[in-house]
Amino acid sequence: MSPISFQFPVSSSQLGKIARRSLLVFFAVACAFLSGCGDDEPVKKIDLTKREEITVIKPPAAVTYAYLPQYSHNVSYQRHHRLVEYLSQATGLAMRQVFPDTFDEHMNMVGRGEIDISFCNPYVYVQIAKRYGARAFARIVEGAGEINFRGQVICRADNPQIKTPADLKGKRLIAVDAYSAGGYLYPWAWLLEQGLRKRDFQEIAFAPGPGGKQEKVVMAVYSGKYDLGLIRERTLDILADKIDLKQIRVLAHSRWYPGWVYAARRGLDPANLAKIKEALLALDMKNPEHRQILEKARFTGILPASDADYEAVRRLAEAVESRG
Amino acid sequence: MQIFAKLSFRGKINLGIVTVILIFGMVLYLVVSRVAATAMTGEIKKRGMNLSVNLAGRATNSILAMDFLRLKNMADEVVESSDDIAYAFIQDVRGQVLSHTFKSGFPSELKDANPISPDASSKIQLLDTDDEMIYDFALPVKVGDNRLGTVHVGLSRAKAEAAVRRLLLTIFGVSAGVGLVALAMGTLFASTVTRRLDVLRQSADEMIKGNLDLHVSPLLKRNCWDIRECQNEACPAYADTRRRCWNLPGTLCPDCREGNGADKLAACKECLVHQLNAGDEIQSLAESFDVMALTLDAHIRELKAAEKSLVRQQQLLRTILDVNPDLVSLQDENLVFQAVNPAFSQFMGLPESEILGQTKVPVCTSDQARENEADNLQILQSGGHQSKEVLVHKNGEKRWFHLVKVPVYDGDRITGILTAARDITEIKQYQEKLIQSMKMEQLGKLAGGVAHEINTPLCVILGYAQMLLEDIPQDTESYEFLQLIEKQAQICRRIVGDLLSFSRHIESRMAEMDLNQSVTEVLDLVRHTFKQNWIEIVPSLVSDLPAIVGDKEKLQQVWLNLLNNAADSIGQDGVIRVSTGIDPQSNRVQVRVADNGSGIAPENLKKIFDPFFTTKAPGGGTGLGLSVSFGIIQDHLGSITASSPAPRELPAAAEEGQDSQRPGAEFLVELPVSREKSVTDTFSELPSAEMQAVDQKTA
Repeated sequence: MSPISFQFPVSSSQLGKIARRSLLVFFAVACAFLSGCGDDEPVKKIDLTKREEITVIKPPAAVTYAYLPQYSHNVSYQRHHRLVEYLSQATGLAMRQVFPDTFDEHMNMVGRGEIDISFCNPYVYVQIAKRYGARAFARIVEGAGEINFRGQVICRADNPQIKTPADLKGKRLIAVDAYSAGGYLYPWAWLLEQGLRKRDFQEIAFAPGPGGKQEKVVMAVYSGKYDLGLIRERTLDILADKIDLKQIRVLAHSRWYPGWVYAARRGLDPANLAKIKEALLALDMKNPEHRQILEKARFTGILPASDADYEAVRRLAEAVESRG
Repeated sequence: MQIFAKLSFRGKINLGIVTVILIFGMVLYLVVSRVAATAMTGEIKKRGMNLSVNLAGRATNSILAMDFLRLKNMADEVVESSDDIAYAFIQDVRGQVLSHTFKSGFPSELKDANPISPDASSKIQLLDTDDEMIYDFALPVKVGDNRLGTVHVGLSRAKAEAAVRRLLLTIFGVSAGVGLVALAMGTLFASTVTRRLDVLRQSADEMIKGNLDLHVSPLLKRNCWDIRECQNEACPAYADTRRRCWNLPGTLCPDCREGNGADKLAACKECLVHQLNAGDEIQSLAESFDVMALTLDAHIRELKAAEKSLVRQQQLLRTILDVNPDLVSLQDENLVFQAVNPAFSQFMGLPESEILGQTKVPVCTSDQARENEADNLQILQSGGHQSKEVLVHKNGEKRWFHLVKVPVYDGDRITGILTAARDITEIKQYQEKLIQSMKMEQLGKLAGGVAHEINTPLCVILGYAQMLLEDIPQDTESYEFLQLIEKQAQICRRIVGDLLSFSRHIESRMAEMDLNQSVTEVLDLVRHTFKQNWIEIVPSLVSDLPAIVGDKEKLQQVWLNLLNNAADSIGQDGVIRVSTGIDPQSNRVQVRVADNGSGIAPENLKKIFDPFFTTKAPGGGTGLGLSVSFGIIQDHLGSITASSPAPRELPAAAEEGQDSQRPGAEFLVELPVSREKSVTDTFSELPSAEMQAVDQKTA
């Protein structure tokens, strides 16, 4: 009886050779691979046990400059920090831009003396003038010498229900802010003129802050969340590359009212104010350096102003507030 | 590798599987650890960057607003979002830490651990805190081109490493699990293979032991006749549960092809039966094995039957050859002996093994060998038969053989010569005897005729000679001459008489007679004459012999012939013993005439009864006496034999001091008591080796 054994087609010695070679190759590759796994990043030794207390260093005393936060702090900073630097250089005063989070905060800070120079809309100016005795001393010129601006009432272009101002009743409305001039006060005046009151609308909302509130209103109408939107003119231009503007219909324009204003808090050193006013008024588009500053701030020029220039706005505000 | 070769099949499969899985696991481990580490590091960096970018983006407003609470909240939110984030802190543009997530004080070394250059968009630094490795992500907080400060997020690598370890552990576990499952499955599969292989091996062992009644392949649930609903009992596959129909030749399904070759198998592969019942390679091997065992069994049975019949035939042939007294031999085409029978080897005096392979037999002379070879070659060339008689001398003995040579054909080709040699020595002797007796008979007739013709003129010569003798005086010369003529004429007359009695069968006068009396009368007649030569006759006659039927005169002539021959053989001084008796077995009366004469030479013993054979000098005898006696005894249905030397119980000769050196001779005559022919006397007259004869004859 012969035992049956299984034979490989190669002899056992050949097999052994092949197996040994295979193993060698395998381990060589594995070693090469493993060597590549080494941590080649530079390491810095650090001792986390040495601790120190951090105390917040108070900022040095300076004339504070604030831009009403209709946009985010970033935008506020980007638009105005060159202007602040210019003012500081031009006046020799230490100047610092500060960033209140809301319109209310802005007004409160003016009241607390934390904002020396306030760059705000006419409606807010009317408020801080009334509440805290702030006084306007300059106004800006936009575009091709426009010193006034207006608001718009918009809806979706394909909204079939809105044909006449009477059709606006019972609709949902969104505005920029309760203290917005172009985005609330001015177009609201138009609505009042059309005989519409707050109660005539199903809902009146304001865009959530901070920053970008004008755009948010357009977006809210564009998306169909609200039927009507109140915005200042030129806002749609900003959104030209983000949405299809044909989808938005401008129902009406408000009347023209004065534009944005520079106001000084009550109690600001008049000498400093004079220096600042002079520096601001000195800005000229023809000066390349000034042009850069102005373009950043989206102005074309700055003109002197007085509180009387805003009487119309003051009356408008009173009318809106009283008639609602 | 020796160990590997000795491993069982299952062991090899398991070893192979485990090796493959180990290598696979190892490669997977290495690759995955490498890839995972890279991926995890990349992921950490991406995540850290995301967190940093996010924090930097969100911190802008708070930095501008100097809202430390919100900065603190933001940093805390980042750290709380995941437990592998070690810390987060925010510096202003001067490096002053605005907010951080450390509980008690800020690590002073951390402030400058990962400084970022003004134009860099980000920077990642690996920090070793002794406890753990931390990636520090530094990102500038920028508004436009203006830098407001820096955010730092510290991401622990430990968690990522732990994740990688968990992944590797999972791979290891899965590999081990897969290995175990593969091992189990491998064992299962291998055992299904090895179990069946084992059955095959055991079957092979059984086959080696000679047990061909094997059944390795499994029984089918549905056989071909079930599937095809076939009732054809003539089909070889029908009711055969052990073999598959596609392995059988001559199946009778309409789809089946002839034969058992590749064509049939190819056709079978299309068949439903094959598709349903064909198994894997091992099953097909087992099925082939079964077919092989069955076929082998059938072949072996056939072979055994054939072998038995062959052996029987061989035994028969062997017996025929062994028993055959003829010398039989078979030579191939080169005249080499291929087979011889025992009679042949016995005659050659050589064992069979020494003859086979030779081309010549030792008993032939060189001439005979040449002749034999020439004959053989002629037979091989011509294909004709040959039959002839040859004389062979062996040990001084001459033997006649009748040779028959025939060519042996294989198809059309002559492949050898069969030679049968029959010993015909005895037949040859009979032939010689027959020829001799025929010759003698013719001679007798001739002699009788001549004697008859001579007898008359001889009688005239004798008659006239005797008349003249009476007339002529006795003392004359003429008388002497006449006496001589008369004497010679008497001799002639005796010769003629012998010739006549030899040639002419005179009618016997058969009558009842007394044997002893006939013998006594003859003895009385010759006693006196023999006495003159000092020859003594010793009669020893048994009385009370039964009477026989015979011709008394003729029988007396026989006795006289025998007595004369004895006397002639003795010459002078001798004894003749004459005895009568009876052989109770053959119921024959016997007459013996023995002498102590010169005896008969052995070569003459056979010839003494031939007519005209004589050892006497010319004129001494005609050579017809014994021949005539032979004829007379034959007429009496008896026998006459001679032996020399004579049996040595001749008391008279011994007593009388005769020359005992002479061999002497004895003649024995046996005669039947009744006339009926006895059975035992058929060949008794034939000469045999022990027969002897006297060397002289009566005239």
